Amino acid sequence: MKTKSIRFRLTAWYAGLLAVLLILFGGSIYFTLERFLERNLSDTLAKEAQTIGESWLRDVNQTGPGYVAGEIEEHFAPSITGRFVRITRSDGSDLYHSGAPESGAFDPKQIGSKRFDVSQSLREEHLPDHKELLIFSLPFGDRAGNQYMIETGAPYDQVERALRGLVISLAIAFPLIVGIAIGGGYLLMRNALRPMDEIATTAERITSRNLSERVPIVPTGDEVERLSVSVNRMIERLEDAFHHISRFSADAAHEIRTPLAIIRGELENALQAPGITEELRETIGSALEEAERLSRIIDQLLEMSRLEAGETLVDRTRFDFTEMTRSTVDQMRLLAEEKNLQLKFKGTKPADLEGDPLRLKQIVVNLVDNAIKYTPSGGSVSVSTFPQDGKVILEVADTGIGIPKHATSQIFDRFFRVDKARSRLLGGTGLGLAIVKSICTAYNGNVTVKSGEGTGAVFRVELPMEKRI
Amino acid sequence: MRLLVVEDEEKLAQLVKRALVAERFSVDVAHDGREGLDLATAYDYDLIVLDLLLPQLDGSEILRRVRRGNPRVPILILTARDAVVDKVTHFEAGADDYLTKPFAMAELIVRVKALLRRGSIKRESVLRVADLELDRLTQQVRRAGKRIELTAKEYGLLEYLMANSDRVISRNMIIGHVWDQSFTGATNIVDVYVRHLRDKIGDLDQKLIRTVRGVGYVIATEESA
Repeated sequence: MKTKSIRFRLTAWYAGLLAVLLILFGGSIYFTLERFLERNLSDTLAKEAQTIGESWLRDVNQTGPGYVAGEIEEHFAPSITGRFVRITRSDGSDLYHSGAPESGAFDPKQIGSKRFDVSQSLREEHLPDHKELLIFSLPFGDRAGNQYMIETGAPYDQVERALRGLVISLAIAFPLIVGIAIGGGYLLMRNALRPMDEIATTAERITSRNLSERVPIVPTGDEVERLSVSVNRMIERLEDAFHHISRFSADAAHEIRTPLAIIRGELENALQAPGITEELRETIGSALEEAERLSRIIDQLLEMSRLEAGETLVDRTRFDFTEMTRSTVDQMRLLAEEKNLQLKFKGTKPADLEGDPLRLKQIVVNLVDNAIKYTPSGGSVSVSTFPQDGKVILEVADTGIGIPKHATSQIFDRFFRVDKARSRLLGGTGLGLAIVKSICTAYNGNVTVKSGEGTGAVFRVELPMEKRI
Repeated sequence: MRLLVVEDEEKLAQLVKRALVAERFSVDVAHDGREGLDLATAYDYDLIVLDLLLPQLDGSEILRRVRRGNPRVPILILTARDAVVDKVTHFEAGADDYLTKPFAMAELIVRVKALLRRGSIKRESVLRVADLELDRLTQQVRRAGKRIELTAKEYGLLEYLMANSDRVISRNMIIGHVWDQSFTGATNIVDVYVRHLRDKIGDLDQKLIRTVRGVGYVIATEESA
């Protein structure tokens, strides 16, 4: 479960809040009930003591202690109900003493005698066997003027039992309630947020090549619908801009090509004129070279706009990328030798790829050509290919001048040059790496570079292998 | 031989015409689609050079209509459209060759000649330029009778130059013929190979392969250049 998802966090918050409220609620019930039961018990005990005193003890000198005991046994049956009753004379001797209860809840002999108090009182008697008795004491005088102490008591565990029952039922009910709240809340949240997920998934899938896709609109009339509508509007604006750009570059290239063809034709023609001086020949040659470069730039720009439009992926054949790279490196060996560079190739595992071999070869040609250009003589260029995790990896490492850190993010931009003067001298179009990137993107791959200034550069291309079923 | 050039850009049409006339072809020029189609159906041309973006009638339409009436005349498409899709659809519609603007005039000439030779092609098995000799059957190269060992690429390059001797061949033509299109970004590879080739054929005392700045390379005997 993603702990950062809104779904998770909201549910956790709700469940936490609910748990806290339930605990507060349960606590207040517990204490209220405890107080109520205690008071209830003590009232009962007081009433019993009162009854014993008023009804029977008052006339004990006439009726005798036996009568009192008989009445108490008859009305309260302390041994059966688990009650404690004791009547003590002022000299400390017992007038009446209830026996051990049948339930064995407490041992009455263990209950300490009460000092003769002047007022009535309620006390908790802690027995040695950890039992508690709530005892009410009532000083009472009979008609003859004798003072007695009436004590009525009941085991406190009546109250405790009731409270324990409450705690148990709360302990069962609370997790159940919280669980239901979590489950229900999670489901509700998931349903409410599912359109969000779909919006995100679609938005992630949309790249420059499938801008015509739109996120699903859920007609719920709420925030989610508004979000999906505004996301769609944004994609639409992007699509417009994208179309505009690629349309424009295609048109521009067309319009420029014809005049270029004329310039070239005229210049070539002029070159063949009789009696042309060597100086003029050089001038025309230089102009022709520039015209040539201009047409190469236009070719490549158009090529890229087509790659971005996804038009050129028609040709799909299956071939071994490693083998293609090896033979390309061989073809370019002479270029490296010219500059006294070592050109090494490493790649033993075949890496089958589906695509246009010529276009994918362009990646190798451009990267190796680039590496050779920017590596001073005596250095080396190492090319390696291997399959890895369902991808074909191509690495071109050189020991050249490297790329300064601030430039690594822009190196794949069109016309970006680290050192303007120097690169132009090498006669590039400034589009080689941009084309590499376009081709990689067109095949759902990517290209990255690792470099520090002066420590050479490593270009790494990753192309997903298409798996045929 | 009579050729038709259908091209709406006046200057370019004139340049193409001049280059073809210099090769001793007689050339008619049409400046729009309607005129092009009329001429193409009225006369029996040996070859048609056809632009695609034309006023009044589209080049693709002309191609289809001409093909319907005359399945044999070679048609070379000359256009600014270079998408693979364009090439494929026009080859399927019956075009024989496809050249993208801007182009080297030499390339147009080479292609036109190749199309005209097609069918009745008589490929010489031995090519000769001065004392340099290339045998296409045994793939052997000799200069003044002395055997020269060449790599496959060097041989391909030399054969291409010699097959088009006296004609300036552009680097892009060489790339396209000896390597492939993926090398267009690295045209300097041609220069390196040419230098090696010159070394091997001993092109120091008597120069056969010459550089024409801004255009490309040509192989020729010194007198003929």
